[in-house]
Amino acid sequence: MVKKKRSFQEVTATPEPAVLEQALAGNGLRAALEEAKTHEGVIGYILRDSTSAAIDLRDPARIIDYAILSSSVLDAGKELSELFNIGEVKNILLEGKEAKVLSMMIGENRVSVFMEKNTDCEKLLRKLNSAVE
Amino acid sequence: MDNEVYSFALKNALNEVRNLCPDITDAFIFNKDGEIIAGDEKVSERTVARVVNAFDSMTEKADAIGDIEGIFLEGAEGRMNIHGMNGVYLLIVTSRNADMNYVNTVTRVVIPTVLKVLEKINPAPPANNPSPTRLQSKSKASLADELEEPEQETEEETMTEEPEETEKPEAAAEMPLKETPVNQLIVENLGGLLVPSDTVRIDNEILSQWEELYEDKKIEEVEIETIDGKTVRCKARPIKDSKYEGKGVIQMPEKIQFTLEIKKGELVRARPVIENDGGSA
Repeated sequence: MVKKKRSFQEVTATPEPAVLEQALAGNGLRAALEEAKTHEGVIGYILRDSTSAAIDLRDPARIIDYAILSSSVLDAGKELSELFNIGEVKNILLEGKEAKVLSMMIGENRVSVFMEKNTDCEKLLRKLNSAVE
Repeated sequence: MDNEVYSFALKNALNEVRNLCPDITDAFIFNKDGEIIAGDEKVSERTVARVVNAFDSMTEKADAIGDIEGIFLEGAEGRMNIHGMNGVYLLIVTSRNADMNYVNTVTRVVIPTVLKVLEKINPAPPANNPSPTRLQSKSKASLADELEEPEQETEEETMTEEPEETEKPEAAAEMPLKETPVNQLIVENLGGLLVPSDTVRIDNEILSQWEELYEDKKIEEVEIETIDGKTVRCKARPIKDSKYEGKGVIQMPEKIQFTLEIKKGELVRARPVIENDGGSA
């Protein structure tokens, strides 16, 4: 598991305001995901950007299954949004018989939150969105 | 009931859903094999193939969450939902401002209800029903044979699964057991200067099957019923144009189409009218 650590100092050293904004959003997102992990029914999350990934799942034995599914969902979502001209993908919810996954693309960050079937994902989505706004 | 009727019913249901929810921009129903069961004519096979590919790419990797029941995609300019129901999938694309609670309420009530009704009428869903005419293709004569010699049933079933049998036009092969034969036919235009306005043209093979059922009584008239329940009784003659033979088509003059409020390409049910009975058989 590779985790990229970004300190606030590293971020402030970057001269580009857009990059700074993105890094702050990434930090906020990470914090929101950590908080989400404590919610009842949340199985775990995968957060990826262009260079690193953070994975925190209840069942480490299934990390690869979840990672592959996360990637497939986001790719398929992009394909479907292009096909039906519904614009940039904001989020995709894939409901299975046993669990569900909420995937989002936020800037360069690709996020997937896995949860039990009856978990309120609307609430979670609102929290994640507010974390990066 | 054949797949065409199944599709027709679902297409009507989809149209009603779209009337109720004008924010729906695309809607169709497909099965796991990537076949459109019902949907807009503007939806191309390529679009469905791409949807099925994307869908398959997710389902293949979804072991971690179990079989997929639904996909809800929110884009910047619209939304796309896929709901799994009774072995088929309903895809709906809506504009950004659509009231999804309302859309979901309507679609999740109307379509499953229609599917349930269709399933009650014909227990095999379209996904599992590649040759729906198999049971309907038996004539009264063959039924009588079966009653005398039950062993022939296996042989006949085996025969109906052969490719040449499945290639037979569905409507031409239909023949309900014991009851009045009813055939599902596709309406084609019938025009010309010398064409009587009270006569339809039906496949000669179907007329022969009917005549065989009624001990070679000549079928002069038929009763035509639309899916909406409108009926008309008119004269019937065999199709002359060879290009329509064996295609499950009923050629119909404009006047009759107008009376039934249907047009070319729609489905109707046709049953023979036997003179001696003073009504439809």
